[in-house]
Amino acid sequence: MDMICFEDVTFAYEKENMVLDHLSFSIKEGEQVGLIGANGAGKSTLMKAMLGLISYEGHIYVDGQEVKPQNYAAVRKTLGYVLQDSDNQMFMPTVFEDMIFGPVNYGMSREEAEERVEETLARMGLLHLKNRHNYKLSGGEKRMAAIATILAMEPKGMLMDEPSTALDPRNRRRLIEVLNELPVTKLIATHDLDLVLETCDRVLLLDDGKIAADGAAGEILRDKELLERHNLELPFCLAGVRVKLRSDT
Amino acid sequence: MNKTEKALREIQAMGELAAMDSPIHRLAPLAKLLVTVAYIFVTVSFSKYDMTGLLIMILYPVAGYQLSLIPVYTCFYKLRIVLPLVCAVGIFNPFFDRGIVMTLGTVSISGGVISMLTLLMKGVFCLMASFLLVATTSIEEICHALRQLHVPKILTSLLLLTWRYVSLLLEQVSIMTQSYHLRAPGQKGIHVSAWGSFLGQLILRSMDRAAALYESMELRGFHGDFYYAGQKKMTAASWLYMVVWIGLFILMRAYNLPQILGSLFV
Ligand SMILES: Nc1ncnc2c1ncn2[C@@H]1O[C@H](COP(=O)(O)OP(=O)(O)OP(=O)(O)O)[C@@H](O)[C@H]1O
Ligand SMILES: [Mg+2]
Repeated sequence: MDMICFEDVTFAYEKENMVLDHLSFSIKEGEQVGLIGANGAGKSTLMKAMLGLISYEGHIYVDGQEVKPQNYAAVRKTLGYVLQDSDNQMFMPTVFEDMIFGPVNYGMSREEAEERVEETLARMGLLHLKNRHNYKLSGGEKRMAAIATILAMEPKGMLMDEPSTALDPRNRRRLIEVLNELPVTKLIATHDLDLVLETCDRVLLLDDGKIAADGAAGEILRDKELLERHNLELPFCLAGVRVKLRSDT
Repeated sequence: MNKTEKALREIQAMGELAAMDSPIHRLAPLAKLLVTVAYIFVTVSFSKYDMTGLLIMILYPVAGYQLSLIPVYTCFYKLRIVLPLVCAVGIFNPFFDRGIVMTLGTVSISGGVISMLTLLMKGVFCLMASFLLVATTSIEEICHALRQLHVPKILTSLLLLTWRYVSLLLEQVSIMTQSYHLRAPGQKGIHVSAWGSFLGQLILRSMDRAAALYESMELRGFHGDFYYAGQKKMTAASWLYMVVWIGLFILMRAYNLPQILGSLFV
């Protein structure tokens, strides 16, 4: 069954400037999809559309329900959304309170929610952040905590907007492991193509509001010509990059 | 650290105060809210010449600060900006109300002086009590308690969001002044020529962030109810706290306790 289905979706912030241009595609339940595209391609906008945060033309279905005001609550419960900017994601005083916010709002008892939060923090290796104040976290800590707040909700599908930015190599690795252990449907918008290779089976390449390519991650991310045509580059691990050190000259 | 950043830190520090642990922090927010409201109500209702009767009302804030382990100093420090205003409220009374109501030895004291002092005490006491509530109860808990009292969602949401947005606005100001000064070394304040764009940017940015934050709350199931803040139940201790204090307030109002105590020794 389709988890996410776009039918001829069109959107523009300002007239003339199409950001989503007659988009149609679908993502099956349990699929792991990477959403790639140059800066300004429309990745974040596409995610916002799915949650009803912008009003578009066309139809979007999430888990069989059309995205429209009377279904917003159900759709937003189904899809967890990690925002591109963690500062906008966290609004409670401490990490713990932020994490408990979602589950409790969706009707879970306090005790259960606390247990789940603990478990999620442990899985992310973040137990030391539990009682820290949000505004005192470092950039990467905030990022990890923001991802944890969404994981704690255990949504059926996850939309992640640049989950790996600001993470140090070890936290990035941990994120990849957590993502791979999580069987839920995922759509990951990112410029970290190596992360896509490690976590996704399928890739959607967005350019100028249109789907420029849709296929197996291994194929698309190996296609140097295709990537370059859309202002992207091969993932580092496939490029066989030989870095020329400045100090060697 | 610039001024705005300081202000911001102070607001954020309020959250930290509320997150501390003490017998008062552990009480149900509803009990604390009702006691505070009763306190303010009773304090304000003292007549304007009843300074001695009013004096005993200081018992509640003093006990409260002791039990909550928050130094009274914090309260006066944080409220240093509003305190002078509160103190100034009755400043003209001595000029208008010159009737002598009391003589202490050879000094005669006019009604205006007494009423000025009474007003000042009322103001300071009420501020101390309100601050005690805010310093021991998070904004979410207060909103939750208000919801329990069936205050409309729209009002509680407004309260919560105002609280959040004030810090958000200050944060934006602080970020923007910082970036401004990094690229305008040696300037004091912000040059007049930049005021327009600065203000415009500030409003746009704060609105954007406010909307994004609200969206983020909605995405996680917020619909104006504060379920997540309701873990502190009305325990026996909370009931006791509430009943005893409200009972005491009524006693303090009905009888002039200092006078009665005084007369015992005369
Ligand atoms: N609030 C807005 N108002 C007007 N235009 C906007 C707004 N937000 C984004 N845009 C424009 O819409 C286009 C798509 O933006 P979007 O944020 O979806 O890009 P993106 O693919 O997420 O880019 P990035 O990789 O940089 O995050 C961009 O050209 C951007 O300038
Ligand atoms: Mg984006």
